[in-house]
Amino acid sequence: MTRTHIICALTFTLMASVFTASTSLAQDTPQPKIHASSIQILMVDSKEVTLPAEFQVALYENLVAEVQKTGKFQHVYRDGDRSATDAPDLVVLHSTVHGFKKGSEEKRQVTTVAGATSINIHCQITDKTGKSLMERDVTGKVRFFGGNLRATYDFGKKVAEIVRQSS
Amino acid sequence: MRMTSTGLLCGAVAVVAMFLVTPCIAQQPQQPGTFPQTKQVLGLEGVKHNAMGTLTVQKGTLEFTSGKKKTDVPATSISDVVTDKDSQRAIGGVVGTISMFGPYGSGRFLSLFRTKIDTVTINYHDSSGALHGAVFTMPTGRAEEVKQDLLTEGAHTTIPTAPDATAPPAGTK
Repeated sequence: MTRTHIICALTFTLMASVFTASTSLAQDTPQPKIHASSIQILMVDSKEVTLPAEFQVALYENLVAEVQKTGKFQHVYRDGDRSATDAPDLVVLHSTVHGFKKGSEEKRQVTTVAGATSINIHCQITDKTGKSLMERDVTGKVRFFGGNLRATYDFGKKVAEIVRQSS
Repeated sequence: MRMTSTGLLCGAVAVVAMFLVTPCIAQQPQQPGTFPQTKQVLGLEGVKHNAMGTLTVQKGTLEFTSGKKKTDVPATSISDVVTDKDSQRAIGGVVGTISMFGPYGSGRFLSLFRTKIDTVTINYHDSSGALHGAVFTMPTGRAEEVKQDLLTEGAHTTIPTAPDATAPPAGTK
């Protein structure tokens, strides 16, 4: 009886350690570091996918707000800002929408499981010359609480976290 | 216990009825170019997200007033105005969130009561050319009026205004 318990405990420990190791390996993938004092955030490009205007604007505004909150850059320039051209070490954040599923706030509130909104966006940080420094696919979602535009806030938070880790 | 639940349910129904009736009573004749009960969802500098206030389109500017705060955007700096339609829970805010946890799924039931709203999205450039965006929601039927007023004051749009459906087609007498 005792031996069985010990074997079970060892097996469980082994499985847990394998799972933990694989997870940490996946997370420990070296991320390229970006050294820049200023960033310019371009308007979200949605030529491939039809995106409602309010979503496009909310994505852009949340992105600017969340990147500013990270405090990793001295200047966060918006799209079209003329003063960005004088910035010495500027990086540019491009965002392209690849997928958009507009859910329903009503369905979410009534059923809890249906009606999620999700937006898939390819984010790329380049230097002034256009050389890519980092590329990621980010998904903004809202599953339970909040309106559909909350997916844009989720996207902004995720991109800010990526920026925080890579600079 | 059963009496308490029944009381809660009756209370919830009464609150729904109150919220559905109030907007009908509260509607007042509005001045041209003034749009009360507008919510600034996001985007305007110095205004909190989801702030309720009054939108005014007059003298070449779009002005949003929420309490003591006023924000102006010159109409000529607006490069795009887009309107859309949406709906929202009739009972929102803190009361709405608390009601979500009502007994016997009454919170879910209340979610079925919805009010239609219009959405106005603008893109504008500040003095240094930087692009900003703002999203407003307002009672249904007002978005096109806001758009028309903005276009009259010098704003631009990428989506031309739909012709008035009530107007007789060209050529008819």
